Amino acid sequence: MGKKRKQRETEVVAPPKKDMSAEERPKRTLLGWKDKSEEVGKESDSSGFRNKEKVLVTCSRRINFRYRHLMLNVVSLLPHCKKDNKVESKASKGATLNELVELKGGSSCLFFECRKHKDLYLWMVKCPNGPSVKFLVNAVHTMEELKLTGNHLSGSRPILTFSDNFDKDAHWKLLKEMIIQIFGVPKEHRKSKPYHDHVFVFSIVDDHIWFRNYQISVPHNEADKLPRGGLENMTLVEVGPRFCLNPIKIFGGSFGGPTLYENPFYISPNQIRALDKKKKAGKYAKKVKAKTRRKMHELSNQLEPDEFADMWKE
Amino acid sequence: MEDGNIEDHSEEASQSESESEEDGDVRLTEPAKNSIYNREGLLDKLGDISWPENVGWIHKLSLDINQEQEVDVNDDLARELAFYTQALEGTRQAFEKFQSMGLPFLRPSDYYAEMVKTDSHMVKVKGRLLAEKKKIEEAEERRKAREAKRLSKEIQAQKLKERTKQKKDEIESVKKWRKQRQQSGFAGGERDVEMDLDFEDGKVFEKSDKKRPGVAPGDRSGGKAKRGPINRKKQQKREQRSSKFGSGGRKALKKQNSAETTNDLRGFNRADFTGNKKRKR
Repeated sequence: MGKKRKQRETEVVAPPKKDMSAEERPKRTLLGWKDKSEEVGKESDSSGFRNKEKVLVTCSRRINFRYRHLMLNVVSLLPHCKKDNKVESKASKGATLNELVELKGGSSCLFFECRKHKDLYLWMVKCPNGPSVKFLVNAVHTMEELKLTGNHLSGSRPILTFSDNFDKDAHWKLLKEMIIQIFGVPKEHRKSKPYHDHVFVFSIVDDHIWFRNYQISVPHNEADKLPRGGLENMTLVEVGPRFCLNPIKIFGGSFGGPTLYENPFYISPNQIRALDKKKKAGKYAKKVKAKTRRKMHELSNQLEPDEFADMWKE
Repeated sequence: MEDGNIEDHSEEASQSESESEEDGDVRLTEPAKNSIYNREGLLDKLGDISWPENVGWIHKLSLDINQEQEVDVNDDLARELAFYTQALEGTRQAFEKFQSMGLPFLRPSDYYAEMVKTDSHMVKVKGRLLAEKKKIEEAEERRKAREAKRLSKEIQAQKLKERTKQKKDEIESVKKWRKQRQQSGFAGGERDVEMDLDFEDGKVFEKSDKKRPGVAPGDRSGGKAKRGPINRKKQQKREQRSSKFGSGGRKALKKQNSAETTNDLRGFNRADFTGNKKRKR
């Protein structure tokens, strides 16, 4: 009961506070003193919901430069995020990170964990009550790559598109909800811009979540008269970054708790490497074996002496 | 996986060829038996974290796009195209929604603000695009030049062929004509020779005699037979001279005196010696 309960609490707590503040003085806004009546009207108009998502983005120590750049790209895409110092990988188990998120006042966390300088894991966590998801990140391309030619406003709210197989299963549904909350920029966030010029793609292919970010571009002279013919001329240019998330596990709590889901197809990269090594190790033994077998074969069926062997010698 | 990691360490420029390798992750062929799937727990959590039902779309900005057909992961182009169409479809729908709500959608052309990528980075991107374009153009030019060269060579060969054919035809026709004349019985030897000479002068296959004066009209060797004995004499002389004076090569060492040549008095006259003595006395 993370978000919901919180709201209920605030709603319950709010009225007495308001009464008290009415006695003292109204809240101050940029335009002057806020009227009580106006405040009430506004609240009813937006049905009382305000997205106060704040994402803490951090990474483990000894992270690869490429993955660090990926993290920075994510930071640049999310105006509602807070970047923090690297965290010691060993200490990342639960408590420290939870504390950190609480300290920063975040409601969710993206933690990039790099192991052995090659494997990147991404923790996507709702704080403080969970759930948390651990992904293996594949196919990373950062925004710095020159072939990604798009560009968009920093802090404009992205449009999130999901492929329809997100509604297929319970864990995908949960992931979708988490992605909406974490990657969606809150409306009227102070760092966000009032226009929409990029699209995020979250698509499940081969049981992996693929991420793409496209800029919406319309021919220059037609930007003003979009309502009429602009829709056909709309094209997308990729901005980046690209990555592919392979969900490994979903936990009930934040950075821990009971396991709710386990990817049945998952093999860890360590296992893959071990398998590779094993394959390579067998090579020499196989060669030796083949050699001895050949020798045995030659011994068992010897060639008959050639009758023409000394024909030309005389 | 291994490939992907190697690619990570390499420079980003080599993206295009490494792209096909990157998703070569291994997975179990059949699902593990003991994996946990707590559906109730998941749905419970989903209920916990999800926003209230009545939240407006404007807060979420999320759209579900129908993926028409299964996408093959290993086909890069098809996969990217699927993502692109999903994004495009999403933007169209979003655009319509914004239109109906009367909210601004795209950035107006006079709205300038900080962009995700810096200007210096975009300059780099542009430079790369230009360089690529230039490369393509250059390759095209080279290809064209090569083609033109090949074509001209062909034309040249054709021309040569034609010329030889023409020559052959002409010779053939002359032969034919001669034969015809012989068969029909020609008037006189003298005139015939004249005619022949006429032909030989006019046609290509004999050089004109004018260039070699002093050659008799009937001489088939072209005057070489006549010049032969004179040449031989001349050659003998030349040989003698060269045996005496040497021909070609460095002369300096041959002309130098050595111990033998200084003692060799064959070239001198005895009388001269005696004469000298007398004079001294």
